[in-house]
Amino acid sequence: MAMATSTFSPPASQLALRRQPGAAGRYHLLSFPRLRAAAEEAPVEAPSKPLPSPAASNGAAVKAKEPEPTPLPRFRDSRWVNGTWDLKQFDKSGAVDWDAVIDAEARRRKWLEDCPEATSPDEAVVFDTSIIPWWAWMKRFHLPEAEKLNGRAAMIGFFMAYFVDSLTGVGLVDQMGNFFCKTLLFVAVAGVLLVRKNEDIETVKKLIDETTFYDKQWQATWQDEPKN
Amino acid sequence: MASLSSSAAAARATFMPSSCQSRPAGGGRMARLVTRAAASSPKLPSGRRLRVAVVGGGPAGGAAAEALAKGGVETVLIERKLDNCKPCGGAIPLCMVSEFDLPLDLIDRKVRKMKMISPSNVAVDIGGTLAPHEYIGMIRREVLDAYLRSRAEGAGAEVVNGLFLRYEAPKEPNGSYLVHYNHYDSSSGKAGGEKRTFEVDAIVGADGANSRVAKEMGAGDYEYAIAFQERVKIPDDKMKYYEERAEMYVGDDVSPDFYGWVFPKCDHVAVGTGTVTHKPDIKKFQAATRLRAKDRIEGGKIIRVEAHPIPEHPRPKRVAGRVTLVGDAAGYVTKCSGEGIYFAAKSGLMCAEAIVAGSANGTRMVEESDLRKYLAEFDRLYWPTYKVLDVLQKVFYRSNAAREAFVEMCADDYVQKMTFDSYLYKRVVPGNPLDDIKLAVNTIGSLVRATALRREMEKVSL
Repeated sequence: MAMATSTFSPPASQLALRRQPGAAGRYHLLSFPRLRAAAEEAPVEAPSKPLPSPAASNGAAVKAKEPEPTPLPRFRDSRWVNGTWDLKQFDKSGAVDWDAVIDAEARRRKWLEDCPEATSPDEAVVFDTSIIPWWAWMKRFHLPEAEKLNGRAAMIGFFMAYFVDSLTGVGLVDQMGNFFCKTLLFVAVAGVLLVRKNEDIETVKKLIDETTFYDKQWQATWQDEPKN
Repeated sequence: MASLSSSAAAARATFMPSSCQSRPAGGGRMARLVTRAAASSPKLPSGRRLRVAVVGGGPAGGAAAEALAKGGVETVLIERKLDNCKPCGGAIPLCMVSEFDLPLDLIDRKVRKMKMISPSNVAVDIGGTLAPHEYIGMIRREVLDAYLRSRAEGAGAEVVNGLFLRYEAPKEPNGSYLVHYNHYDSSSGKAGGEKRTFEVDAIVGADGANSRVAKEMGAGDYEYAIAFQERVKIPDDKMKYYEERAEMYVGDDVSPDFYGWVFPKCDHVAVGTGTVTHKPDIKKFQAATRLRAKDRIEGGKIIRVEAHPIPEHPRPKRVAGRVTLVGDAAGYVTKCSGEGIYFAAKSGLMCAEAIVAGSANGTRMVEESDLRKYLAEFDRLYWPTYKVLDVLQKVFYRSNAAREAFVEMCADDYVQKMTFDSYLYKRVVPGNPLDDIKLAVNTIGSLVRATALRREMEKVSL
């Protein structure tokens, strides 16, 4: 696999300012990200003027000019050409090495997340992840997960079948014919798919609240409508 | 802080709850209200006309006052600062120009191209599907507000320069409200203005996000975003780039729950950002927005810094007795795009029409039920739009991965067409079902890919 050939990593001081990826990655499906590890103000920012209170005045003409922040190293990679990945450089025995493309893009995004850059119309980024074929994504991300989930489902299935058989004496084939057992099977499959960590149960509950929260805010004024 | 480029169709196809009717939001004037024109409420004594105070002279107040005056209601419009330059994105949809008969010279710029920029600087141009006559109008608030107020005055409303202080509720059921305000009159020489009062039958609170009327009536609070904006005068050659173009930056660096923008104004650009949940960090977000647009605003001079709250959702109570709220005071700002001007003006108009109908052109007293009719109509007409934008915000603004997917989706022509249609004309038009399904599949695909890349990113250590 070709090594990424970017010259250097973003300076450690900049990395410290951005949030820790571990904490931020688990966004689940909540609309507001949790407060992350507090980031200090960038050391080069001038002490900020107090924000004008909106009631008093709407704005002010600016007098002071903030000092320019030190320039950050830009993202560079020999395979990143004209705002997209040059697929010819990802050659592996004749075909494109999609895994390397995915790795390179992940690295680029991580770099830019830690060290945001100015955009420029001359070097516009036009890379679209949909050029990577679906089977590359499948092989890389879905299959290991599917293997894990199938394994869990199989284990649960085997022991539940054994357990029910030992309790009721109903064999596996007869179990399948029963509606109640089919329902339990459905619940087990759904559970394995949706609940992968203990926190997922809370997430599903919060999700249900979230989807209706905005509706409730809009209907608030009708709660105290005088009934006439 | 208006803008667009939300993939309305994506959400519609994938996430539209079954309870939501997406009826075309066209027309719907209050024909059915007139037939029930408060025949039960008493005729006003000695043939006097209904008196209404409109507090606040922005788009909501101006539109309301004009419609009230045209409908035969005695209207007083109170505005505290007649030359106010309210900090605002300043974008209005096409339908506002036609619905409110705005003269085209009010519009400083016609934005026909938007650039959406993802956290990793993937840039997508949208606007290619716009017809030549379609655009997003950029206006100066001081110009628009003054124009609407002058139209209200022309229709017969009295415009008063004063600061609303408080009101006293009536003691009997059909009594009057006593409005207390500070009257500013440069000729009288008094610096602080003199305290005056007058009596009205109904009050329309159009005084914006920090509404005093809302406080007086106990409307409750809402969550709000802080929008922070710097007006930057950039050199002419750089200004050419923004001739017809606005930019929208998404990313955690720019805002955790909103977006950063560069909007062209008459002869300068407005660079800004906003946030709901991380208000103390707003300066940091602004610096990040400036950094992302650095090459294009280099050499610019900041001529003004401004900030203003933007409501996130309506207040718990929007009507109390014969006092009601419209516009930002009521909290009618959409999620995702933060659009407020059109809904302010439209809600002012609809409220005024409800009052005119409920009072049979100013001859009868209005009741709370007439004001509730305006609320019901507004909610019915625009609920689909608000809900769709809320879903978009929840889905696409929650993380950098989602934002990457969002920008990727915006590259699709169908998405652009549906987005602009729903923004420019405020109608949720059902598209081709096959295209909708394709769009849903593409959306899910984008989100899945972006999330997968996100997981890879966590493994990378630079």
